Amino acid sequence: MKHSFFLSLALGAGWLLSPESLVIAGNGAGRMGWLTIPLLASIALLYTVCAKLINSPQLPDQVDKKHFMLQSMTGIIPATSLRIAAVIPLVILGATALLVTSGYTFNEVFLYWFPNFGFSFLLLALLTILQLFPEKYIFKAQICFVSLAAGGLLILALYGITTTELVVTQVFKQPSSFSSSAFASMFLLFAWSTFSSEKQQPSVLVPVAGLILFSCWILVSLSYVDAERLASSTIPYMTAARRIMGEPGRQIMGIIVISGTCAAITGLLLVCRRMLWSVAGTTSHDSSSGKALRWFFPPLIAIITGSLMATGLAGDEQLEVLLRGALILWLIYYDLLCLAAVLQTQKATQTIPIAGATCTVILLAAVFILISSNTHRMEMLRFLLSMFAISGLLSTIWFFINKDRNQYP
Amino acid sequence: MKNMLFLLSFTLIMAFQPAFAANVPLMSKEELKNQLNTVTVTILDVRSGRDWSSSEFKIQGAIRAVASQIGEWSKNYKKDQTLVLYCA
Repeated sequence: MKHSFFLSLALGAGWLLSPESLVIAGNGAGRMGWLTIPLLASIALLYTVCAKLINSPQLPDQVDKKHFMLQSMTGIIPATSLRIAAVIPLVILGATALLVTSGYTFNEVFLYWFPNFGFSFLLLALLTILQLFPEKYIFKAQICFVSLAAGGLLILALYGITTTELVVTQVFKQPSSFSSSAFASMFLLFAWSTFSSEKQQPSVLVPVAGLILFSCWILVSLSYVDAERLASSTIPYMTAARRIMGEPGRQIMGIIVISGTCAAITGLLLVCRRMLWSVAGTTSHDSSSGKALRWFFPPLIAIITGSLMATGLAGDEQLEVLLRGALILWLIYYDLLCLAAVLQTQKATQTIPIAGATCTVILLAAVFILISSNTHRMEMLRFLLSMFAISGLLSTIWFFINKDRNQYP
Repeated sequence: MKNMLFLLSFTLIMAFQPAFAANVPLMSKEELKNQLNTVTVTILDVRSGRDWSSSEFKIQGAIRAVASQIGEWSKNYKKDQTLVLYCA
């Protein structure tokens, strides 16, 4: 029971503890000051409502409830296309970006002589090899990664709170104003947080635990670093860690960044693999397609990620636009999933779940703000449309080849 | 096992990719340290994307320049000026 609880938490918290989330939280805190904390609480509440809605016992009990709901609303090919578009680009682009960040962190914090790209590739290989092991070992490793990252962040936050007098006063001294784009970015913090292994109940505890952890971290960051510096920094987490604890703080943050990267990539790969099992029409990793996916999928993702790093995407400004686009794709998918759950609930109970419907509208608004506030919005729109087109094409080919197979009669 | 060997080989090849870069005149960090804050030396940080944003270390006074736009920004400097470009 305890193991199941920690596992559920660890699977959902992967992305939340990634360096990308730390940047979003740091920049957001810099731009909105203390307002970030109540806004973050409202987003955590929204994800909790959405998770409860999607996993409501009133909805039809299917093997893969999420896919069934989407399929009922959009049809099988659009539902599959949406899933592929939401997951695969994020796994590839997220892994590329996070591995590069980890490479630099390892090189600059721990070993100057070790090439940053060498470390990025080494980590990629190790995480890929981990995916080839049975799931129970991957789950254990994921619990370790998440514990290390969350523990490190908690240590820094608690040290910061206990060694500075009047933390709250310091925080309220910083300027605070609402920024719609910074607020919308905060929605990306909790991406995947309510997704977990199908054997586990999707945990609404992840948004709550994330809220507590990030509130402490934001509070401490704001009391040690100027809001302006936090808002403009590309590595606000490292600036805050150095101010809080000096060199040991940097080293702890180095461990957080590397373990957070491992947790995010492992979590993304696990969810992605389960999604592909579902698309392939199997629910068991022991089946032939399950085994094929287990051996084929992680090396394929590693080769694509490695190729993107080697061809210089890491040094290209485009990566940020593409990664943001991939996160928006996930948000669109999640929003449509909520909409499907609202429609299914209405069908089952003859009443519209007001809270769920409101959250769906808010999520949609966040998607629009994220796209419209981006300075590269045209490139991003092109990316979103091309991902939908490619995943649509792949899904159509897949279902044309397997037209006799229908998972949900 | 074959998969693992393939992955490790791929990793090794990729890890040492920077070693295949073309030869360019290099300046050691000690040489650069001695010449810092002199008028004749201009330091250009040509890192971009994550290479720049993920790095904690930036040389004080370095100017950011986009490597692919060398034709444009190179016109701003005199030919006898020493330009130090760093990318890692």
